Amino acid sequence: MSRFDISGEPVDLSALRQALQDAGSGGFCSFEGWVRDSNEGRAVDGLDYEAYEDLARAEGELIIQEAIDRYGVADARCLHRTGSLRIGDLAVWVGVAAAHRDEAFRACRYIIDEIKHRLPIWKKEHYLDGDTAWVACTHVHREHEHDPVHHDRPGPPFAPDYSRQTRLREVGAAGQARLAAARVLVIGAGGLGCPVLSYLAGAGVGMLGVVDPDRLDASNLHRQTMYDARDIGELKAELAKRRIAALNPTVAVSVWTEPLHPGNVIEVFSEFDLVVECTDDMRSRYLSNDAAILTGTPLILASVYQYEGQLQVISAKPGGSCLRCLWPDEPAPGVTGSCAESGVLGPVPGVLGAMQAAEALKLLLDLPRQDDGVLFLYNLLDHTSQRLPIDAAAGCASHGSCVEVAQSAMARARGDVGLSLVFERLDDAVSAGFSLVDVRDPEEIATDPLGAPAREIPASQIVARQAEFAGRTILLVCATGRRSDHAVSFLREKGLLNVRSLAGGLNALKRSAEVSS
Amino acid sequence: MTTVTLQYFAQLREQAGAGAEQLSTAAGSLRELYTELAARHGFSLPADALKVAVNAQFSDWSRPLRDGDTVVFIPPVNGG
Repeated sequence: MSRFDISGEPVDLSALRQALQDAGSGGFCSFEGWVRDSNEGRAVDGLDYEAYEDLARAEGELIIQEAIDRYGVADARCLHRTGSLRIGDLAVWVGVAAAHRDEAFRACRYIIDEIKHRLPIWKKEHYLDGDTAWVACTHVHREHEHDPVHHDRPGPPFAPDYSRQTRLREVGAAGQARLAAARVLVIGAGGLGCPVLSYLAGAGVGMLGVVDPDRLDASNLHRQTMYDARDIGELKAELAKRRIAALNPTVAVSVWTEPLHPGNVIEVFSEFDLVVECTDDMRSRYLSNDAAILTGTPLILASVYQYEGQLQVISAKPGGSCLRCLWPDEPAPGVTGSCAESGVLGPVPGVLGAMQAAEALKLLLDLPRQDDGVLFLYNLLDHTSQRLPIDAAAGCASHGSCVEVAQSAMARARGDVGLSLVFERLDDAVSAGFSLVDVRDPEEIATDPLGAPAREIPASQIVARQAEFAGRTILLVCATGRRSDHAVSFLREKGLLNVRSLAGGLNALKRSAEVSS
Repeated sequence: MTTVTLQYFAQLREQAGAGAEQLSTAAGSLRELYTELAARHGFSLPADALKVAVNAQFSDWSRPLRDGDTVVFIPPVNGG
């Protein structure tokens, strides 16, 4: 059945609501538009709706699909009335079911706004004084909160003015030319990436690469200062590209909307002079470290925890040190806290990201630096900082060299490719002989049940409970595939070769269900 | 007994409930000291997941403790 409908008669709303019920949805949001007794100061007795039905149906269906794609909701329905309606009658109904309430609210708002704005439906108002008037339902043009048009408005011709930095004796015109010729890859366009991208674009770095597979979420906005409420649901890499174009149209931008992986990271790093690692993902951090060492590309690492941050510049020169000199192996899943799990004060990644931007400019401009081979720790609660020189001889050098360690790590990681499997339904995985293990946290499982028999072992307990994975063929499942991928690699290093990860996690399953429905 | 100053970062600060403390300890090495503290504060991270620095220099876990040392345990963090 179509998800958008037009009816000349009153409709049974409980049937519409029923059609949206599904076990995977934890939130349902509906909107009803009613006939009101006045419009623009005139008393209204009732009204007639008329629609150009074929076009309205096609457009309505399109709007619902857009809302599903944009907000990742499970399903949505909309009904619009035509014919004669009286005061208090239902004129339009929108219902959205989703895993969580936030996207249900947003998608519902999106649908009703777009319906009002785009559908060829007109209403004839009957006023109490006997007069009537046709009112186009689309007569109010306003910029919606989700409307990306504001990003694309052409501005006046722009000539960058870098005088405030070229005035610095160490920068000058020669420095500016170096920046214009520079290519910098920024991995992660979140709390750290926003200041990095903003400052590097503002400074006139000629070419910026942006890697980020995530879509903007409302919970990002307290720290990710390049975006605003209208951007929610959109890909951050694309948003960042638009923001950079608005800030400095002379900067060229390339985007990657999939994470870099062992199969392409070397090739991608080779296109850049410098890489700034801004993700909240340990795996990405280690992959970047290894790729930087193997390609000789300088890498600026930073990470934050609540009120603190760490900063490390890897020069990728012989005799230097790297991330693995400090912590040789990627920590087991769940050992290090993420912003989502541990919380973070918004300005903390802002400060560390600004420091990364400063380090990037210092490197590109060849300014005086004393930062290689040092781990910096900053605590913004008490303003203490630690400058800890890294003894390269005690690091990777004791197992050969950073390059040798990176080579073997990269070879291991390449062996991991193919360990995540694509299934359209969990039942298919079960039929293929997999036992399912849900590695999400209990709260996530409570709001978004798996809908298939599975053992529940949170990612943070994989280490302690690795014995439970022996013997059977197991498919690990999480929301996005990130935690399950990570857990698979970890278990493989422990010799458990019978474990695979559901590629893209439950989100991917939901997307493929939408496409096939 | 040796008196040392301890500084904690990230999860360790949270689990210890303080950013710093002074301690008299019978521990002979940094590793023994961490074992003692892990038991006291319920640290969830194993020593091998951490770096340790003494008096602003990274240090080996077997280093003996001396009076007045400032010891910092540093976990890797990944927020961004």
